[in-house]
Amino acid sequence: MTSSAPLEMENVTKRFGFFTAVRDLSLNVPQGAIVGFLGPNGAGKSTSLRMALGVLSPDEGEVRLFGERPNIESLRHVGFLPEERGLYKKMSPRAIISYFARLKGMSAGESRKRADELLEMMGLTEFGRSRISKLSKGMSQKVQILASLAHRPDFLILDEPFSGLDPVNQQGLEDLIIEEHKRGATILFSTHVMEHAERLCDSIVMMARGRKVFDGTLDEAFGALGRAVLIGVSDGFDLDGAMTAKGFGENEKHGDTWRVSLPSGRDAQDALRAAIDTGAPITSFRPEDARLRDVFVSLVSDAEAEDLRQSLATHAAKEEAA
Amino acid sequence: MRSIYLVARRDYLGYVQAWGFWLGLLLTPILMGVGMMAPTWAAASQPTRYYTVIESGTDFTDALKAEIEEDRISIARTALDPVGVLNGEPNEKVEAFDAAIDNGATVDEALAEAGGTSIELPQADFIYVDPPGRTEEAIQPYLLGERAVDSPNGPQTLFAAIFVPEGDGDIEYWSENITAQSLLAKVRAAERTLTERRVFAEAGVSPRILSEAESRRRGISEKRARPASAAATGSQVTLADRAPFFAAVMLAFLLWFLIFSVVNYLLMGTIEERSNKIFDSLLTSVKLPDMLAGKLLAVLAVALTLMGVWVIGALVVGNAFSGAMPPEAREMLFTVVSAIAKPSLLVPAVLSFILGYLMYGAVFLALGSLCDTIQEAQTLMTPLIVMLMVPMFMIVVAISDAESPILSVMSWIPVFTPFLLILRVPAQPPLWEVVGLLVMMVAATLLVLWLASRVYRAGAVHGAGVGDVGKWFTKLIPGKKGEAGS
Repeated sequence: MTSSAPLEMENVTKRFGFFTAVRDLSLNVPQGAIVGFLGPNGAGKSTSLRMALGVLSPDEGEVRLFGERPNIESLRHVGFLPEERGLYKKMSPRAIISYFARLKGMSAGESRKRADELLEMMGLTEFGRSRISKLSKGMSQKVQILASLAHRPDFLILDEPFSGLDPVNQQGLEDLIIEEHKRGATILFSTHVMEHAERLCDSIVMMARGRKVFDGTLDEAFGALGRAVLIGVSDGFDLDGAMTAKGFGENEKHGDTWRVSLPSGRDAQDALRAAIDTGAPITSFRPEDARLRDVFVSLVSDAEAEDLRQSLATHAAKEEAA
Repeated sequence: MRSIYLVARRDYLGYVQAWGFWLGLLLTPILMGVGMMAPTWAAASQPTRYYTVIESGTDFTDALKAEIEEDRISIARTALDPVGVLNGEPNEKVEAFDAAIDNGATVDEALAEAGGTSIELPQADFIYVDPPGRTEEAIQPYLLGERAVDSPNGPQTLFAAIFVPEGDGDIEYWSENITAQSLLAKVRAAERTLTERRVFAEAGVSPRILSEAESRRRGISEKRARPASAAATGSQVTLADRAPFFAAVMLAFLLWFLIFSVVNYLLMGTIEERSNKIFDSLLTSVKLPDMLAGKLLAVLAVALTLMGVWVIGALVVGNAFSGAMPPEAREMLFTVVSAIAKPSLLVPAVLSFILGYLMYGAVFLALGSLCDTIQEAQTLMTPLIVMLMVPMFMIVVAISDAESPILSVMSWIPVFTPFLLILRVPAQPPLWEVVGLLVMMVAATLLVLWLASRVYRAGAVHGAGVGDVGKWFTKLIPGKKGEAGS
């Protein structure tokens, strides 16, 4: 393995006919990181990952896997779980895991030993020699995940790894990802389930409509959303007017509770002090527990709104020109 | 190479572990044997039929009986010396048999005289019975099965009745069955013979003179012009001359049959991978050309396994029954097998098989990558199957004339070359033509492989389907940027 970053994408664009699936994407996955690749359906996540693996060629920009253009040698260090799951239905889990491990360079004996070890780890030993067609969907999915990491890859790319798994198996997969990370693997996984990303990731990349809308740490993501406190008042007290006078100008009423946005340089304590100073009949107070989902919705909505604005502007310009 | 081996190994094991493979392995030789024996069985199972002749006298009846006996005479001669009869050089047994027949012996008597008592001839197809009536009205119930005629084998349905009028009136052939025409053909032949005799008699030529003319008729010896270098083999056309043509037909058919049988494995295997969505996992583990090579090798190995098992099986069976085989039949078999083993036929045959397999295999592989279901594949396969039937028709043409101009012309169409080159080789076409056909076949195969890999990539990577086939033909030629695995 080289000392280069597992994955670097520079200004990558991919079009299918007139449709631009990925637009000007730059991405760097540093060694040893767990990076979440988030976005709604159709955001361009899978296309980006397929370009990262060299399955698709970008129309513009450059992709480097361990410092090289993706090739079969650099791919030997990569384990990949595609979004569209599929296995040879007549093969056994043991044979499949061994087969993919051998394709990645393992010897026959080592690959079989590794398959047994992984099947045991996932509690699938008794199904090791059954046909895939006899297994449940969840079991098959676990087998495919095991096949992607059987050769102990340095870099794991998992496309929607949690989809189709029940909560117990989702937790199992989270544990497995953490184990692989502890072993030293770099991990990039796509998902639209934010809780997994919150629990697992060092950093996240968010995509919307083929564009990257965020790239940074979780803290930076929460920072992008903006912080707020929730203050409960009684007797229909107008907190907005009172707080605006104290320098807290963005307030929203939700029943008896006000969401007070924290301006830059002010924290929750400042907001509480200001509320007390206004003489408001406070019934409750708590800092807003921001979730990645909110960040995601906010950023994606912004991106979609921006797209809509651009589209309207282009249309208007064309009309004018006509 | 390792990736190619691994892909080929997995696919090969997948194919040979399937029920279909074992069914094909066991049933094919059985069905081919049944197919080869079917005409014999059909002839043997044909019921003996009974006819009668209504005439004044027995001239026509005798002539017709003699015509019917000709078939058994021919079978008896071939049984006495198959190679000699085919080569036009019958042995002394056949000569003794012919002499006995000329002296008025029956077929069975002649066989006994020629020392062929061990030969069992089939019963005559048609047996004469005395007419149960003299008029059409009287005969009709017997023809319709309402009444039975007396025969050496007990009461039977009358198959045909032949009314031979006196004078110049037409002979009438009556039967309820209008599809079995062989007796009618014998009736025509008998009438021809009788007419000749009558006309000669009217001209004052006695039957004895006619018979003498028959016996003095010169034989026709078939010779083959050979170059001086091959003069030592003599000019007489023998089975050894014909064997390469038989062998070529057999090889061409075998190639056609194998391609037709095994390319389906490629189609089905690829459809399975597409419908199971395995392509992305594979393409991040193996280069696309290695993957295609592995798949083609796997099915080639399946074909070779089938051939190997059948050949070994044929040798085992042949060895077990060789003692029971007449020496003449053994010699015939040995001559044909020797012709197959000659490098002048075997080398083009092996090259044609490999190139033909790669050409058709790549096409089926590409088609499979576009289809999610067998039903989709069938829409694309129909024109291919129709195309694959053409070489079968050409094999039929080659059986009657291996040097037919249509074979020469069609052999230059790349998709037919693998089959037709084999058929042409025994006719010793000019060397430049053989080399030209081989070069063209190599070029065509490379072109097909290139196109097929593009189509495969479109199907496997981009998810293109049956509906996109038409659009591609305009887009395939300009190259696109290479992608990983390529």
